[in-house]
Amino acid sequence: MAYSEKVVDHYNNPRNVGSFPKDMPGVGTGLVGAPECGDVMKLQIKVNLETGVIEDAKFKTFGCGSAIASSSLATEWLKGKTVDEAGKIKNTDIVNELKLPPVKIHCSVLAEDAIKAALADYKEKTAAAAPAAR
Amino acid sequence: MPGESARLRKLRDRLQDAILGSVEDAYLNGHPERRLPHNLNISFAYVEGESVLMGVNKETALSSGSACTSSTLEPSYVIAALGASTELAHSSIRFSLHRFNTEEEVEFVARRAIEVVKRLRDMSPLYELAKEGVDLKSIQWKAE
Repeated sequence: MAYSEKVVDHYNNPRNVGSFPKDMPGVGTGLVGAPECGDVMKLQIKVNLETGVIEDAKFKTFGCGSAIASSSLATEWLKGKTVDEAGKIKNTDIVNELKLPPVKIHCSVLAEDAIKAALADYKEKTAAAAPAAR
Repeated sequence: MPGESARLRKLRDRLQDAILGSVEDAYLNGHPERRLPHNLNISFAYVEGESVLMGVNKETALSSGSACTSSTLEPSYVIAALGASTELAHSSIRFSLHRFNTEEEVEFVARRAIEVVKRLRDMSPLYELAKEGVDLKSIQWKAE
């Protein structure tokens, strides 16, 4: 298996590895994939509740180098985006940036799913926390 | 040949002891005695095999799974048939020693493998959950 330089770089120097407490205000958590499938990604965003901008993002991934690189890249892209902008990140953007071969496209799909799951969790939590604001 | 087998077996056992002696939740695949003298196959729980190879293969030639499945992403059916769960089959690494390997090389590979597994576990959500006491089987995984 030949890896692109960018995949190798993210594997060797993964960005934003770590975790936020799940119940921290403004934090949304996505956990996608399955151990039997060989890929699990946990992706978290930390949103500024006043501006709606993602201030920080973290990930942990069980999977191959391309899965690690896809989630590491996703956290880089998420920082500084609004929640709405973040929802527009597509798996194909990740494929192009990391030059993933066809056999590794599922890694980018999983990263997009992880972003969507984290955003959905954030929205659900904030809606539940402030029902009067609606 | 008997001499070479004995030499390889000694090196292999050394590699096996070094790794299993210092990595928790690492499991030998296959029979401890009834196996080829140059072959070692270990599953490292909570990390995926290909990612381990990527860290160790700069200097060495290891393989994930068995020799039969190295060109696909499917976990090794051989390792699964030997009794490993699907999860652990995804985490298996095969070490094959050859005629010219030395003790120094075996120690080097053991050190590298131990280092890489530790680094990958620090970024594994499964390891984090297990350390928090969560039973991974109790989670409703959202597969693709």
